[in-house]
Amino acid sequence: MSEDIHKKKKNTLGARRKKFAWLVPLASIRLTLLLLSLSMILVFVATLEQVRIGIRGALAEYFESMYGIWHYPEQFWGGEYLNFLPIPIPGGYLLGGLLILNLTAAYVTRFQWTGKKMGIQLIHLGIIMLLVGQLATQAMQEESRMQINKGESSNYIERFHGVELAFSDVTHPDTQKVITIPQEILEQGGTIRTPELPFKLKIKRFGVNCDFTVVPEGSPRSGLTKDVNRGVGQTANLSITEKDEDFSSEGLNFGYLVFEILDGTESLGTWMTIAHPGGNHWWKESPRLSDLAFQPVRHRGKLWGVTLRSEREYLPYSIELLDIENEFYQGTEIPFNFESDVVLNMEGNQSRRALVYMNTPLRHAGKTFYQYQMNAAADYTVFQVIRNPSWLVPYIACVLVSIGLLWQFSFHLIRFLRKNSNQVQPA
Amino acid sequence: MFSSSATQFPCLRVCIFGLCITLLLSCGDEAEIRSYEIPSEYTGAVVAWELPEDWGENPDLSGPMAGSFHVKTNAGPTGRIGVMPFRESVSSVDVANMFGMELGYPTFDKVKLEEISEVKIIDGREFEWIRLTDRGLEKSLRTILLALHRNEDETWLFPFIGDRDLINGQEKNFESFLASTTLRAGETEIRAKAPSPPPPTHNQHDTPTWEIPPHWVQTSASSMRLASYEVTDSNGSKLDFSVTSFPGDVGGTLANVNRWLGQIGIAPVEEASLDKYISPIIVDEMNAQLVVAEGDKDALYAVILMVEDKSWFFKITGNRELAKVEKSNFLSFLDSVCFH
Repeated sequence: MSEDIHKKKKNTLGARRKKFAWLVPLASIRLTLLLLSLSMILVFVATLEQVRIGIRGALAEYFESMYGIWHYPEQFWGGEYLNFLPIPIPGGYLLGGLLILNLTAAYVTRFQWTGKKMGIQLIHLGIIMLLVGQLATQAMQEESRMQINKGESSNYIERFHGVELAFSDVTHPDTQKVITIPQEILEQGGTIRTPELPFKLKIKRFGVNCDFTVVPEGSPRSGLTKDVNRGVGQTANLSITEKDEDFSSEGLNFGYLVFEILDGTESLGTWMTIAHPGGNHWWKESPRLSDLAFQPVRHRGKLWGVTLRSEREYLPYSIELLDIENEFYQGTEIPFNFESDVVLNMEGNQSRRALVYMNTPLRHAGKTFYQYQMNAAADYTVFQVIRNPSWLVPYIACVLVSIGLLWQFSFHLIRFLRKNSNQVQPA
Repeated sequence: MFSSSATQFPCLRVCIFGLCITLLLSCGDEAEIRSYEIPSEYTGAVVAWELPEDWGENPDLSGPMAGSFHVKTNAGPTGRIGVMPFRESVSSVDVANMFGMELGYPTFDKVKLEEISEVKIIDGREFEWIRLTDRGLEKSLRTILLALHRNEDETWLFPFIGDRDLINGQEKNFESFLASTTLRAGETEIRAKAPSPPPPTHNQHDTPTWEIPPHWVQTSASSMRLASYEVTDSNGSKLDFSVTSFPGDVGGTLANVNRWLGQIGIAPVEEASLDKYISPIIVDEMNAQLVVAEGDKDALYAVILMVEDKSWFFKITGNRELAKVEKSNFLSFLDSVCFH
């Protein structure tokens, strides 16, 4: 009887191996070990590179790509000779994708789908879920910030990275029509036409970071802004110099755009605008540059405001900041607790009061609001807002791995105990 | 069919799997131009317009201008039309005096202003219409047409400066331009304040102090005048004393002196003859220019002082005989002026 079952199981696995023969090479344990070894190399190289290009740079270069190019550090032994050599390193997407493929292939072609092996199957299923979940997070997660001044409320969030050019028609007293052009389109350059705008835009220059200075009055502007003849660039006599994107965690990137507005073939002038990395409301701190938050463009009886700002998302609800509190460890400037007392004003005149502090976020409508920054002197708080539709996947994966481990160990333990009890029985 | 071919070509399945992974990675939002409506967040003033076809926009917005335009002619851009929003209700007399000074007009009061102003209804809105022509220079056609619109506490001023013929020819366009404007007061500060000198502040050079002779009678200072006094003698003769301040050199010494000469009936002079009326003087340890001009009936004593980038005018004008009497008091006043 048991021989029959064993034979049947073997046949089932054999049939699967036959059916999915093309998966057999991919299920190799050698491939698993190779991929894990390469992953360790990737983590090592990325950790070294993090010092040079920051966390975000290392993530983008090595983990959010199929491969990265690494140069042997000059400080290392023989660095002066080997530094010139570009060394390709397999990226996170490549290794992650191959690992998923490898595990799935092993699942199909090597594992016996029996109760005895169910623990191992669950553990591997959990690991596959972790990998897939991470890929899904990578693809779908959005990180933003929301700044609220005490006593005020906010109904929009701004992305940490990525800008948009926003035109707002403010002529109507009650409503404001907003047209936004994302960074990806600005990067492509050329002429932008959309039926939503009564004029065309000719992108002259876009960059993710710049240095800007106010040129003394009367002195000519040179370089990127020499053609600017409208708006703040002209009135404040602003000059900008292109800079590489700063990937470090403290890096401030001032995205800039020089563009011409055309009504048909007639040029209405050339403007320039700069996005403040902390949000364009910060421009108001500088009287000469305050218009960078809203540069007026008048066209056919309408007043438009143009600004380059962090990519913005309006929410169907708002959060009002009632009070803030920050505590520091005595005698230090190390934060002990940041706390924001807020009211969530939802649609239908419903509201909910909440206290947001470290590790206790506010969750609403698929978004999580974490306490991020605070300035008690200036009376404002900043939330980090995360939207991650796959946030549950790692939890489910961990539960699966735990059940698998429990199952596998319990199975062996029970078998061992049974065997033991059979042996100690008197003859 | 697919199954058999896939078995024969295992790479195909690997490719399909890889494609799925790629799709998963690229399933983020596609970049696109978005359009949406939100409740108005804009708290500033809204000033918008539609330009007549033969008008063009001037790129340089100096001072309180929210908009600046010209008329396109064969000879190139001509004339200057402006949009000046004010945060507060501004007196028409002050505005007329501000521009009238440039054209050699004597100081306006309410009664005098009524003689040259009218009210026009354009597209259901009321505009005060003031037309000023050059009084300072002979044969000059220079004209200023001022249109003032008030809405609650806000005032919008539209000055049209140019030659008389240009302004007459463009009056219809000017009206259609005014009709096209959207004017809405903002909750927060808008581009320009009233055309007055800045209010006294703690800045050492902002407002000087001085001592006024006791018999000079203070009259109501306006947003144009930092100080305003009147001196009257027993015969009823009068002198008007004022302290004013403007950013920049307000056209330069020659233009200012000629404007004042025009006010007391003296013909304008050339640069070379300017010495006839001006002499150097020290005010608060700074070099200034004293202007002394005596006409048949009226006389004028004034001081032009540049402090940083501002012009300060201390001026007494009126009856010639009384002015002679008060000259020493005026000089004593100048001695007392202190910017520290």
